Amino acid sequence: MLLQLRRLRPLRTGVQQARPTSSCLFPDPSTTGSGSGLVLQSQSTDVFQNLALEDWIDAHVDLQRRAVLLLWRNRPAVVVGRHQNPWTECNLPAMRRAGVPLARRRSGGGTVYHDLGNLNLTFFASRKAYDRQRNLRVVTDALRRVRPELDVRATDRFDILLNGHYKISGTASRLSRKSSYHHCTLLHSADRAALSSLLRPSCPGIQSNATPSVPSPVANLTDHAPSLLWEELLEALAQQYNSEFGFEAAPRPVDPSDEALFPGVGSMEAALRSWEWTFGKTPKFRLDTRLELRDEQLGARCGAGLHVEVKNGLVESCRVDVPHHWLPPRLSGALGEVLLGERFCPHRAAAALTALLRCESGQPHRRLQNLGEVLLAGMG
Amino acid sequence: MAMRAALRCLSVNFSPRLPKLSSAALLSATRLANRSCSQRTLTVTSGQCAALKFTEKHEWVLVESGISTVGISNYAQEALGDVVYCGLPEIGVKLEQMDEFGALESVKAASELYSPLTGEVTAVNKELADNPGLVNKSCYADGWLIKMTVEKPEELEKLMDQAAYDKFVKSLEE
Repeated sequence: MLLQLRRLRPLRTGVQQARPTSSCLFPDPSTTGSGSGLVLQSQSTDVFQNLALEDWIDAHVDLQRRAVLLLWRNRPAVVVGRHQNPWTECNLPAMRRAGVPLARRRSGGGTVYHDLGNLNLTFFASRKAYDRQRNLRVVTDALRRVRPELDVRATDRFDILLNGHYKISGTASRLSRKSSYHHCTLLHSADRAALSSLLRPSCPGIQSNATPSVPSPVANLTDHAPSLLWEELLEALAQQYNSEFGFEAAPRPVDPSDEALFPGVGSMEAALRSWEWTFGKTPKFRLDTRLELRDEQLGARCGAGLHVEVKNGLVESCRVDVPHHWLPPRLSGALGEVLLGERFCPHRAAAALTALLRCESGQPHRRLQNLGEVLLAGMG
Repeated sequence: MAMRAALRCLSVNFSPRLPKLSSAALLSATRLANRSCSQRTLTVTSGQCAALKFTEKHEWVLVESGISTVGISNYAQEALGDVVYCGLPEIGVKLEQMDEFGALESVKAASELYSPLTGEVTAVNKELADNPGLVNKSCYADGWLIKMTVEKPEELEKLMDQAAYDKFVKSLEE
């Protein structure tokens, strides 16, 4: 699916239509007098639409001759980096219960919690003009202008710290053939309780070489500057961007789902929503954990071992080591087998388990059911 | 005999030390490989000879017996910084020239990888899973990324040879 995205035909400029088109939004820079910068403000709060818009701009806008700043925010979502493992980075069951979706972005870096109090900035430039420290200067200078008393500084890791200690911004980026984008978060007034409860592992016992997040204590700007309004922040950032790069761009609202403006953005969004991208792109990993089994009817307990290998989000191997006195090996073996090739996902596993349970009754049924439940819980 | 011994020495040195070789040394190293290669393979068509070719995206391609090995150049690995993860495709994936086939994540960014040729992936460097730093330490040898078939040999001919690539890199640095 990724490969299909790259074959879209290039934009044709000069086609005049009644509705605004991309050629209106991104005119030839040689025809515009005043610098070649653009500030866009996404009107959507859907994480997939916004990530798709980033991909679209990266793929279609000629960034050799212009630069773009995109300002956006999302309804609650968790976003993992390109090569991360969502099972280790976030609490998937809690997210499911709370209706918080998982997205995987195309840039590297760590896991972040997004909500309407978290502002995202994406700086698009040519590869040559890629300069993260300069972009972060836009943010720190803007903050210092509106609230001179704030102690905000960018670090070597491209975080922004408040009072030398609290992380208010993290950075990630992507380099393509000719273009680059650097995006960062900015915690204005995010729900910190939700953030810390959701950014925890789903299940213990995972070993992988996926890129890990570096957890940091965070703070909101409004914790230290309560009067700072969202609109004030956006305006300051747009102004500072223009000032830093010598542009005169007024922020323009855009709808990332507008196919006339961004032809092909819909299929980019679909690709980002897909299970194959979100979960399937997880680097290969192993899960080795201990399961505590119970037979409520007899008040008995037993320990078992679970060993799973997952590749492309699918179960490549699954072994459940249950003592033979507890459950006949044909059943624990069958459970391991029925999960092979399935998505490493409790819904799929539950369906496979149900099929197996239909053939059993009495004690084996009861114990197999318990094993299944514990196994599902162990899968996150 | 002497030539073969020299070639063996060369291939031993080719692995870990190559990234530190200056461009000039690398040029003479590959010229030596070319000469000995052509002496041994007089009856084979020119496309079979092992010589590094380069893309503008700083990838190198080495074709041997119809299979090309792909990696990134020293210029690229230096620009990337320490690689922390290699996102590579599955064996069997079919790629067109210029298709994105994966990404290298470094402290700098997630940098997309573009297929230098049209063909099918036949092997992926498994060592990079646990040791992504090989791309930095040994970009021309142990840090190879994928192997693929060469469906369109004419694409190979259009890539830069060592001399052209050196010139290209110099022009970027100016």
